[in-house]
Amino acid sequence: METHPRPLLSVDDLTIEIGGANVVDGISFTVAPGKVMALVGESGCGKSLTSYAMLGLLPPAARRSGGTIHLGDQELTALSERAFRKARGKDISIIFQEPSASLDPLTTVGAQIAAAYRTHHKVSRAEAYAKARQMLEDVGIPDPDRRLHQYPFELSGGMCQRIMISIALICSPRVLVADEPTTALDVTIQAQILDLMKKLVTERDTAIVIITHDMGVVADIADDVAVMYAGRIAEIAPVHALFEKPRHPYTALLLASVPKLSDAPKADLATIEGRVPTPNEFNAGCRFADRCPLATERCRAEQPPLFDCGGGHRSACWHIDRMAEIHGRAA
Amino acid sequence: MTENLHNVLELRDVAVHFGGRGGLFGSSGTVVKAVNGVDLEIRRAETVALVGESGCGKSTLSNTIVGLQAPVSGSVKISGEEVVGADRRKLNDIRRKVQMIFQDPALSLDPRSTIGATIGEPLIVRGIARGKALKERVADLLTQVGLRPEHADRYPHQFSGGQRQRVVIARALALEPDLLICDEPVSALDVSVRAQILNLLVALQQRMGVSYLFVSHDLSVVRHICDRVVVMYLGRFVEIADRDIFFADPKHPYTRALMSAVPEADPTVQRSRQRFILQGELPSPANIPSGCAFHTRCPLATEICSKVRPELTPRPDGARVACHHA
Repeated sequence: METHPRPLLSVDDLTIEIGGANVVDGISFTVAPGKVMALVGESGCGKSLTSYAMLGLLPPAARRSGGTIHLGDQELTALSERAFRKARGKDISIIFQEPSASLDPLTTVGAQIAAAYRTHHKVSRAEAYAKARQMLEDVGIPDPDRRLHQYPFELSGGMCQRIMISIALICSPRVLVADEPTTALDVTIQAQILDLMKKLVTERDTAIVIITHDMGVVADIADDVAVMYAGRIAEIAPVHALFEKPRHPYTALLLASVPKLSDAPKADLATIEGRVPTPNEFNAGCRFADRCPLATERCRAEQPPLFDCGGGHRSACWHIDRMAEIHGRAA
Repeated sequence: MTENLHNVLELRDVAVHFGGRGGLFGSSGTVVKAVNGVDLEIRRAETVALVGESGCGKSTLSNTIVGLQAPVSGSVKISGEEVVGADRRKLNDIRRKVQMIFQDPALSLDPRSTIGATIGEPLIVRGIARGKALKERVADLLTQVGLRPEHADRYPHQFSGGQRQRVVIARALALEPDLLICDEPVSALDVSVRAQILNLLVALQQRMGVSYLFVSHDLSVVRHICDRVVVMYLGRFVEIADRDIFFADPKHPYTRALMSAVPEADPTVQRSRQRFILQGELPSPANIPSGCAFHTRCPLATEICSKVRPELTPRPDGARVACHHA
């Protein structure tokens, strides 16, 4: 396995607009082959829109108003819908939160996986089914010969998510986008699916972009993390650096609000006062300013750039030097 | 009898089965044994967590406690009063003492009613308050859950998810229940909001002495809020222990599997942990395996496990575990 000097997927200054407001505002990040990038944030932070943009699947109300997305040398954002259809599934794939809502209830799972393969390969039905059968084995579905001919309702949620992964990976895409892939599953099944994804990354050198709000999932699977808030990246860092020493007040408070083993029972959890601003409430400066304990006048007036903190760690905060105050509060 | 004064809930050998009585077309049908003989006490101001995977029977058990589902056998006592077989008037009286909140607050509120009307409704139905007194009581409840009295005139869509869950909690507390059943109360909420609601539940308990049965699959939340933990698998309890003992020394192999499946929000800890991942999935409750129901997925299972069902037996540290090998 040679190391690639260039990232496989690069999102550069991506901006998405809905009704005149920049709900995704200048997002940039890169993912190398065999690496997992996690986009983390609360509802409405723009993490799902970012992922849909990578697949050319933005809803009609949303419009990419700036920036580019490259997969290798190919500019995805320059593709026509027709050309995108060739790339989708073959170069880049997506799995969603609710597998049973993504599968066709009237078609056997084998036919759905085979159809995904035949979209991109000129092969006979039998060859496609053989490929689908192999794929079911790879994702750890017992008794694949029987399962091929079953319908989604006959399978559990965990099984359906494995089927979704089969459909997404059967053409060996170089990038897999996973939008909350385990949120609807039980924890024991979540652990199985996360392990499966880790195995696929290693074996196939696939790059994964995982969208989640669960810090436990991030800690388990990610190599790098981008924390998003109200459409912008607040902080981006390698996973260990982010958890050990968050450099943005939002990240620090978010981590402190997750109950931990070391907490005293029923102790007060750290909370973030207020709520995420709606797009028409965005100010000129840092969008977290109204909820931030460190905020000053400058924060409300001037948007902080992503400052480089070294080691690939960057944070969009004017007061990185005062982070100790947050850690004191959160402790 | 003195014991009863302290327990807000007492379950004795409660079983809830579905089907099997012959459907519309006279088919005998399979019996789904959703809850299969459970015993539990909850003391005043105590929080007990009920943990398990989807399909283990935890929601059926909650519904049975609030009287939405009749058990086929056993006894359910709320603050010492028997629910099973009680007549309607008595049942109405008992039900006031146990209330429930659900996972998705958006689905629990009437979009066409102001939240003041929603919170006041149980008080009107019970004939407890009206007019000015009602208004004052609603204002008081809103303040208790961290909202403002003037919010009473607003509609659910004007609130965020966390605020709506506060409204649901206010309504549940309107009748001053002894027991509040919280069915996954924070799993639909964002992380920072989740912490706010957990803090609120703890504060309300300290202020009012209400007990919680906290149904959840999220062990980090359970660890934070509970005094005692009950683990359920296919309709039966497999482990019951005090919080500290439960988390320091989980005994049942299923409990250990659940714990190792929950990812810790710390990459160093998470990646160095010894994982213990369960193979396969929960069997259907219509076809529960013989002996210990967990033996089909258990790494410790031996011959006895498929033949003899282990009873909950006490251990030296006070935990009770149903396992031949733990």
